[in-house]
Amino acid sequence: MKNKRSLFAVPYVIWMALFVVVPILIMVAYAFTAIDPVTNASQITAENFTRMGVYLSVFLRSFWLALLATLVCFLIGYPVSYWMAKEGPRFQRVAMALIMLPMWMNFLLRTYSWMSILENNGLLNQLFRAVGLLDLLAVDHIQMIGTSGAVVLGMVYNYLPFMILPIYSVIVKLDGSLLEAARDLGADSARVFLKVIFPLSLPGILSGVTMVFVPSVSTFAISNLLGGGNQLMLGDLIELQFLGGAYNPHLGAAISMVMMVIVVVCMVVMNHFGEGEEQAVML
Amino acid sequence: MRKQNRVGSRLFIGLVFLFLYLPIFLLIVFSFNAGDSSAVWKGFSLDWYVSLFQNRLIMESLYTTLLVSLLATAIATVAGTFAAIGLYSLSRRKRDALLVVNDIPMMNADIVTGVSLCLFFVAFFQGWGAFATWFNGIQGLVELPTRLTLGFTTMLLAHIAFDIPYVILNVAPKLRQMDKNLVDAAQDLGCTWMQAFWKVILPEIKPGIVSGALIAFTMSIDDFVISYFTAGSSTSTLAMRIYSMTKKRITPEVNAVSTLLFLSVLILLVANNVREIRQERRAVHQEVHEPSRLERLSLRFSQPSWQWARRAVAGAMACVFIVVVMLLTGATSSQPVVNVCSWGEYIDEDLITQFEDATGIRVNYQTAESNEALYSLLKSGGADYDVIVPSDYMISQLIEEGMLEELDYSRIPNYSLIDERFKDLPFDPENRYTVPYTWGTLGLIYNANMVEEEPDSWSALYDSRNAGNVLLINNSRDALAAALIHLGHSVNTTDEAEIRQAYELIADANRRGVFQGKVMDQVFQKMEGGNAAIAAYYAGDFLSMLDNQAEDVDLRFVIPEEGSNWFVDAMCVLKDAPHYDEAMQWIDFIASTEANLANMDYIWYASPNREALEQYPAYYQELYGEELDPELYEIMAVPADVLERCEMYTVLPPATRALYNSLWIELGV
Repeated sequence: MKNKRSLFAVPYVIWMALFVVVPILIMVAYAFTAIDPVTNASQITAENFTRMGVYLSVFLRSFWLALLATLVCFLIGYPVSYWMAKEGPRFQRVAMALIMLPMWMNFLLRTYSWMSILENNGLLNQLFRAVGLLDLLAVDHIQMIGTSGAVVLGMVYNYLPFMILPIYSVIVKLDGSLLEAARDLGADSARVFLKVIFPLSLPGILSGVTMVFVPSVSTFAISNLLGGGNQLMLGDLIELQFLGGAYNPHLGAAISMVMMVIVVVCMVVMNHFGEGEEQAVML
Repeated sequence: MRKQNRVGSRLFIGLVFLFLYLPIFLLIVFSFNAGDSSAVWKGFSLDWYVSLFQNRLIMESLYTTLLVSLLATAIATVAGTFAAIGLYSLSRRKRDALLVVNDIPMMNADIVTGVSLCLFFVAFFQGWGAFATWFNGIQGLVELPTRLTLGFTTMLLAHIAFDIPYVILNVAPKLRQMDKNLVDAAQDLGCTWMQAFWKVILPEIKPGIVSGALIAFTMSIDDFVISYFTAGSSTSTLAMRIYSMTKKRITPEVNAVSTLLFLSVLILLVANNVREIRQERRAVHQEVHEPSRLERLSLRFSQPSWQWARRAVAGAMACVFIVVVMLLTGATSSQPVVNVCSWGEYIDEDLITQFEDATGIRVNYQTAESNEALYSLLKSGGADYDVIVPSDYMISQLIEEGMLEELDYSRIPNYSLIDERFKDLPFDPENRYTVPYTWGTLGLIYNANMVEEEPDSWSALYDSRNAGNVLLINNSRDALAAALIHLGHSVNTTDEAEIRQAYELIADANRRGVFQGKVMDQVFQKMEGGNAAIAAYYAGDFLSMLDNQAEDVDLRFVIPEEGSNWFVDAMCVLKDAPHYDEAMQWIDFIASTEANLANMDYIWYASPNREALEQYPAYYQELYGEELDPELYEIMAVPADVLERCEMYTVLPPATRALYNSLWIELGV
């Protein structure tokens, strides 16, 4: 009987091989080949990787901005999750719904809504003008769109729910008796938080960090719309090679591959570190 | 003490919600704006909602979005549930190994998933093409299509591929929690395996399935990147449509559609919350006794008819859904179609409707951002266009690479109306591939209220006095051309030193912070709204900006004294175009004098049609009851002496193109 049920896994294994494994292998194959401009024949080469040094600053900028966005998300998201979990069930439910709600509009709509706010002649600059701030600083406008700050803002705005949801769901499930035990053993509330709540919420933090960092580091729509093309990021670089102005899918595949490897390494290291913490708490 | 704490925390949560919702609130407010600005309030109106429902491009993309999300969710939920059940009957080690693979699409960045799937589909299509040609060759019974392209199906497959892991992730824990003996017990009691599945497993894991489906739907509807890489050219989701609109001008119709989406989700959520709260109240009042697993199991067995009725209703609804989907897709596929790709806002959209009414051919109208982006799209196998409208130098390149089909001029009688000036041009010396669509010049657009002195040289683009207010045109060819002309070189030079000198001029200005950004069609909203002072762009687009400029903006146009570039955009048909006959009809229709007049009036680019060009001032006077400003007409239809100062692009050799590409990316780095 067991065998019959395991047959259900077969189509899925085939599907995954076809739509997950094979595409990545093809991408790797593209990354290690290039078209010779003269003979028009493809050849195996590592030149896509050796040429990548030029883009070091793009790599650094992407990782730096994504890190910044992740940090801001954490600094806002953790207190929100923590305080939300302390509220009554109805408050929690409404708050959760409100956090999820914007996700059902497409993220591009959410990014677009910021464009008209941050423009040089946009709503925020109009507001500054109305309250006399611009006259005070003796400038015509405050430059917001097209700066790295706008890109980070866009990331935080779009991905904040991805930080709140996992942290909240871990904190809300914390065993209340553990906290009582800690208090009974003489810990003050700061110590309870630092020694019990925070370590126990690490798994939520880790998955929140992953869920914010990965889309941030690879975004191209946000940097395109809010960065005004000035803040070229890894995603833009990849898009340029495939659907943008500089057609070279081999280089694009190579950049994607490097990004994938770096992200996976980061995740593995972080999860390893996270597991260690968890075990320490258990002990 | 505690109370105070709560006030503080609630204030913080409230501020975060304000941050999350204020932009959405503004989006909604400006959907009711009488003007078309998303920053200046001009009074209340519902006009944008009316025009939204008439905007076919947005409505079609909305429909595509909903259809792909619903279909992908339905298929992924069923497939994912069975896969999870299958996985849980495997040995632990095998299961864990498979779950790692399952995690890949969720861990990977969207763009990596999108890129790898895109490459996979293209590789498959190439293999399929070879196979189908061979197969059609050895037998004559079945004719297999040899040319497959990215489209709705590939996008749906991609959505299913990234939805399934989320369903498994949600169903798996429920399977783990389920008491394995329950299934055995049911079967010992005489159930077949199927009955055990319907009556035992499914109810146990139902919460997991529901939340899995919900997350799959959320991911699908929120997705942009993976669709963008796998949908090809002829299918657009709402997000893709908006992305291409942000490159031109976003109309408040987008605000209107956002508002409708937001409100419908809000209503669903509120209804759901109210229902849950009611249920909770009832539960509190009645103090229901929570039945044990076995009791629930027996309950389920005792109410077979009820269960069957519900299942029948669900089945019937699914059938209706499938039939509707099939009808809709069938209805669109049986009608003759022509796939057209042009630039943003480069046609009077009424012409599309007129053509459709006259011929019964549906026009699938898409836009690309630039010649280079169009080339990438064609090369990556994503495009199944019939008619494209590239510029001169790109046409040469496409002809060189054998990507264009010769036209059947006997079926394009209106070709005779094209002025002789626009025939026998270097890009198509024998007039075999092209019918000119528009022509024009590149020049400087500036806001007279934002510059210290009125520019008459390209040097204004690199002048520190305009720092932060210059828009650099976001394609290597035009940007470098302006610099080359300023330095006194030919726009078609292949001398690397000259090109590098021109690049250095731009790069130096970039380092000095002269450029506000690199834009293509975003130039419209930037210049019209007074957000930037100066930009190099096309004459026709300057004229459309005039209609939309804000009150404190005074836009002007000049062809710099060093000279400039002049260009011809022409209609061509791609090699092996699936709708060649329809394409001929479309080209002939667009080449007619009436269509050219309507287009000239709408897009303000000069027409190559002799009659239309001559008649336009009279046409304008008749239409608007006032005389066309001769200065504007000269900007549109540049007089011969000015045109003499301008040089046309020719195709560059591959090595020079590669240099352009790498320099251009270096600039962004």
